[in-house]
Amino acid sequence: MKPDPNDPAWAWAPFKPDAARPWDLRLAAHLYRRAAFGGTWPELQRALTEGPQATIDRLARPAPEAADFNRLYDDYENAAAASAGYGSQAWWLRRMIESPQPLQEQVTLFWHNHFGISNVHVKSNASLCRHTHVLRQHGLGVFEALLDAVLAQPAVWICLGAGANGKRSLWDSSVRILMDRYTLGPGRCSDSDVREGARALSGWIVSQGELRFVPGEYDAKSKKILGQEGDLDRKGLVRILAKHPATSQWLAQRLVRWFVSDTAKPSDSLLAPLARQLTGEGNIAKGVEMLLRSNLFFSTEAYRQKVRSPVELALGIIRPLEGRTGTVQLAADLARLGQELYEPPTIQGWAGGLAWLNPLTTLGRAKLAEALLAVSGAYGGKLDPAGVVRRHGGAAKDGGSQFLIDLYLQGDLTPETLGALEAGPSAAGAKGPGSADPRHIAARLASLPEFQLA
Amino acid sequence: MATWIPADSPIMVEVSEPMALLGPLLKPEFGKSVTTALGNGNPKLQQFGTVVAALELQLGTDWRTGLSRLAGKGLSFCVDSSGATLLAADGEDEKLLSKLNDIIWQFASSGADQQDHPETTASHDYRGVKMWTIGTNEVHALLGPRLLLGNRASFLNKVLDQRADAGGKTLASSALFNAAREAVGKEAVASIFLNLQTLRETPGLKKALAEDGNPLAALLLADTKAALRNASWLALGVYVNGDKLVLRTYTDGAAPAATKWTSFSTPPGTGAGLLPPLTVPGTIASLSLCRDLHAFYAAKDALFPERTSGLIFFENMMGIFFSGMDLTEGVLSEVRPEVRVVVAKQQYDPDVGTPATQMPAFAAVLRLKDPQRFGETVEEAWQKAIGLANFTRGQQALPGLIIDKANQDGVKYTISYYRPPTDKSSGTIDARYNFRPSLARPGDYVILSSTDALARDLIEAVKQAPSTPAKTSPAANSLMEVEGPALSAILEANREQMVRKNMIDKGDSREKAESDIQVLLAALGHLDHATLTLRREAGRPQAELEIRFQ
Amino acid sequence: MHISRRDFFKETAGATSLLAFGSSIPAFLARSAAAMEGGQTSRETVLVVIQLSGGNDGLNTVVPYQDDAYHRSRPTLRISPDQALKLDSGLGLHPAMPAFRQLYQEGRLGIIQGVGYPRSSRDHDAAMEDWHTGVLRERVPPGARTGWLGRAIDTACDPGKTDLRGVFVGEIKAPFGLQTERVVVPSIKSLEEWLPAGTGWSDSTLPHESGTPTSAGGASLLAAVRNATANARLIQPRLAAANEALQTPKSAAYPPFPLAQNLAMVAQLIRADLGIRIYFVEMGGGGIGGFDTHANQAANHGALLRELAESTSAFVGDLGHDRLLESVLMMTFSEFGRTLTESGRRGTNHGAAAPMFMIGGRVKGGLWGAHPSLTDLEQDAPKFHTDFRRVYATVLERWFNLKSEKILSPGFSPLDGVLA
Repeated sequence: MKPDPNDPAWAWAPFKPDAARPWDLRLAAHLYRRAAFGGTWPELQRALTEGPQATIDRLARPAPEAADFNRLYDDYENAAAASAGYGSQAWWLRRMIESPQPLQEQVTLFWHNHFGISNVHVKSNASLCRHTHVLRQHGLGVFEALLDAVLAQPAVWICLGAGANGKRSLWDSSVRILMDRYTLGPGRCSDSDVREGARALSGWIVSQGELRFVPGEYDAKSKKILGQEGDLDRKGLVRILAKHPATSQWLAQRLVRWFVSDTAKPSDSLLAPLARQLTGEGNIAKGVEMLLRSNLFFSTEAYRQKVRSPVELALGIIRPLEGRTGTVQLAADLARLGQELYEPPTIQGWAGGLAWLNPLTTLGRAKLAEALLAVSGAYGGKLDPAGVVRRHGGAAKDGGSQFLIDLYLQGDLTPETLGALEAGPSAAGAKGPGSADPRHIAARLASLPEFQLA
Repeated sequence: MATWIPADSPIMVEVSEPMALLGPLLKPEFGKSVTTALGNGNPKLQQFGTVVAALELQLGTDWRTGLSRLAGKGLSFCVDSSGATLLAADGEDEKLLSKLNDIIWQFASSGADQQDHPETTASHDYRGVKMWTIGTNEVHALLGPRLLLGNRASFLNKVLDQRADAGGKTLASSALFNAAREAVGKEAVASIFLNLQTLRETPGLKKALAEDGNPLAALLLADTKAALRNASWLALGVYVNGDKLVLRTYTDGAAPAATKWTSFSTPPGTGAGLLPPLTVPGTIASLSLCRDLHAFYAAKDALFPERTSGLIFFENMMGIFFSGMDLTEGVLSEVRPEVRVVVAKQQYDPDVGTPATQMPAFAAVLRLKDPQRFGETVEEAWQKAIGLANFTRGQQALPGLIIDKANQDGVKYTISYYRPPTDKSSGTIDARYNFRPSLARPGDYVILSSTDALARDLIEAVKQAPSTPAKTSPAANSLMEVEGPALSAILEANREQMVRKNMIDKGDSREKAESDIQVLLAALGHLDHATLTLRREAGRPQAELEIRFQ
Repeated sequence: MHISRRDFFKETAGATSLLAFGSSIPAFLARSAAAMEGGQTSRETVLVVIQLSGGNDGLNTVVPYQDDAYHRSRPTLRISPDQALKLDSGLGLHPAMPAFRQLYQEGRLGIIQGVGYPRSSRDHDAAMEDWHTGVLRERVPPGARTGWLGRAIDTACDPGKTDLRGVFVGEIKAPFGLQTERVVVPSIKSLEEWLPAGTGWSDSTLPHESGTPTSAGGASLLAAVRNATANARLIQPRLAAANEALQTPKSAAYPPFPLAQNLAMVAQLIRADLGIRIYFVEMGGGGIGGFDTHANQAANHGALLRELAESTSAFVGDLGHDRLLESVLMMTFSEFGRTLTESGRRGTNHGAAAPMFMIGGRVKGGLWGAHPSLTDLEQDAPKFHTDFRRVYATVLERWFNLKSEKILSPGFSPLDGVLA
């Protein structure tokens, strides 16, 4: 098959390495960046021996210890959410670093972005915490179950406009969000569908922080939504929306935007096979897996075609160094860079892409890299690039420079940049010619433009 | 030692009797508990233990005796104006010191070869003294029974210069240093001298001493910061008094007299002082202050000029509770300057259960000038506050407090409580059950307490306690007592929260976090009692901390 | 009248014809380029918004000292004719604001009277949200709401570019007025926390825009990121210089108020010419707000107004020194005014209409609009005659050259005679 990113048959066929596109460190790291926020050296080496499909098997299958791990962290997050501050967000960040199944955290973050529920309106850490738990629980399952669980959450209804004191049911504009943003995608429903959808959701109000059903308020007359007619209630609406072909198409588009490329504008026909996979069994995990295994995912359409979000930037520095930092400070720093967990700007989620990189936030990202890798300070010098270099046999003479370039960037630097890195002074305080501090090297690599791309 | 140190060195620590000072800390039990806490695989401790064991072997002595022989005559630590440091150990055993010196040198020379970046090791003579340098950060010299270890050769050179050329400007000839030394006195087993004229400019200290406009800080610390801003030197003396360790500060700085800073924290009249702190069963900490709240708040424009939303909210609320009375002239002028606060462990009602987060009970004990006239106003304000809290909670669909009256020994007092949880099987008890706000007015006292039990205990306590200030001279204006075991107990009850907070703040593993918290609790376990007193002598503030170990 | 639902959900639709903000290179560079070509270099306009949190008592700020109703209703709080700092038309400023009277006499201070909106809320959160969103809470789900300044930034910034157009300077959480859908609007507490110390970053030997990209499809994204990094490097020395200038005692002395410290930073950032068009600062500490003087208003309100007047005046002086004032417009607002009658606690309660201050080099100094009647009140508060959206529209259209209909809703025409 001739590689053609516009040919659905080629795009979704499982990736088989060949001479033109070998399975090398670059593609292994690419897979780990997108599926696991970044890979450690042993993980990358193992991936190289096992090959892409086997590695994806490993990343996609739930690890046996994941259930216990998640239960423990759910407990940590819930307890921390009871008080104000960044406690539960800090636990989530730590979970992203430590999880035995990081793909699940990537997907949870994807859904957090997709539904765009913000604590600015909900004003309850505990509610947002519960929201993310639901996203995690169902995020790799069946979309209908996820949508059902999400619409059972008061936080979601508050953001959609139900009001905290139970005064009204959802507006038409709220239902339009449900249809245009959460399920079918823009422009796929009529005003009548929206109105009828609002009727299907009548009777539900948010009162005392809980979602309650008031039978007297429910409009029981028959409704006609998206071509289906009957006594449709909330469950009925969820079923129609979840099973509608436009929904799978829209979700496929959103997944491609998240996992493949910031700039891609895939055609409907290109998305169709992925959409079918999401519709058929309705199983998100299968769709994500298909996406990860595909030629499209490993093509130049995807490689280094995303700008790292602040979370991806921080984790992309931390995870490969096999370390762990304090995450309370990290939650605050990521908020400053434009990505405050629990607070996406609107239900559209974070715009992402180049929007992350205005001149001030670009400086801020370099500052974060510096702070994470500093020997002391807010992050306590917990990351140990020198140790990682030593453990994996990096050459000591150049301060581990070559190793770190491989670990962080897989050599994706122009010859001029590589030359300049090697020639230039490593940092103030270098101990002598040819000696360099791995911390400074790592910080410099993490502030390069090339590193800003995932 | 001070005769060798340049006069412009800003920090000088002298321990004239190291063994007396370290006595309590060297008790086997203390060491054992800390090491057990640290143990279990803590790599740093293991490393330290190996080094100590190796040294013991090399020097042919156990570490306690070794310490006495190496530094028993005195320890000094000095920081010079460039930030370089120097440690001097005056030992009893010159030969042992020499041996230690050799060991340090050997270790450095041999270890250097094994490292990736060999540090240059050299030795040379300077002013007739042999100096050894290791890299750029370590230098030492041995002069008879005195071992000098520094981190910068330039500083050690200066010191040796002073030694050789008598008559230079040394710390010993410095007026500030001598004033400090005299203030500290000869009984001190250790002393710290800080030259504030130079240190004041360092950004950290500058910020710490700056007027930050925080009302609570202004109330508690009164003139301390203002005085330090005017001071040229600050000294700390450490004394051993039986089984107690006493730390006392001295300074030449004084806040300008009768100013905003001093006027509200001076006990009125001569012979006046503080009421003794109150104690009840389970006391964790008890505070007694002499603060003229009326004078304090009347000076608010000068003390904390920023009109923050917190301050405005406070005034709005006081306006509501006291029905529009002026806060300064109408309310605070009715309160005498004797203010006391008690924090105590609480016992939870078995009908309710123990909340997941255990908080201690706390209470403020004030004294009215005219309880007949003003007492009921306070009662009304209290009930309004509870009512407002209930109303606000109700708006958020949260349960509210029920107000009731009770009687303790003829004193009628007001309590409030949350209805017990109906479904006790469902998981954790909410933190609100830490609170049962109560108000009691025995005699001319007003007790505002977070629990009724503490209110009852305090009603008893004020009955027993003297109602006239003890004569302490010079007059103290603040006194705080902390009970070690009770403090340990409350922290112990919240150990899991502390561990978790440590984990996400620092990014530590659970094991390390647990170990760190255990070390803290183990060390704290040796505290029996501590007392902190703030007083003012000739306008100069003085702090005194007395610690008893167990 | 409300924004069409579509407008809230449209994808990043690419450039519109009203790109007033669209430049991908820092402003100062563009101007130098223009200067070299002999073109006119005028600075871009800058807006500084000062939020007064808590509900500022307009009646004691701009005092109708000749009105009997005013004196009768405020026995303890009234400002007497001797105390008031006289302006015109029987109005004077609170005695704590001589600095503002000075600005008024120099013709730099404009006062828009009677600003409010229909069925205005007297609840802090709701009213503040109304002022921040500029769109009343009709049928716009909370999750879809944005701030009026956020919408201005989103509308006028090209999605393909990475510009810095708005910042919040202060300690509290950034107010909702700056909430965007897409563009990131940073909050600056101090400049240090944004400036890398340099160990990894300061290498200037690395090529940025040269060299071939490493993958065929990567050319444009990597180039755009390199561009962003280059821009960041260009502004860094200017930020560092601004930070330096803030630490050393300045020639234009700022009083020791928190607002003054924030405005000092704004002045440095304006001077640094980073392309930022919107600065937002806040007084009163957010939350319920320091201006919420239900009790004991006299002293507290006076202190706040003094802080406002002296800080702003120092800022104006600072900018005036470098002739930057022509391109800067300051605007104050609060979520509501207060009642005419006292509360009984020597304070006032939540009201409605209040004045807004406009200060700057191109402001037409003076009073705009009549003082609302003190006999024809609504629930004890003066009625508004000028909708605050018209003030916003004035700023958007006359100061920023943006079409305000897309950002607010149709029907709010700008005010004439506020800006020269």
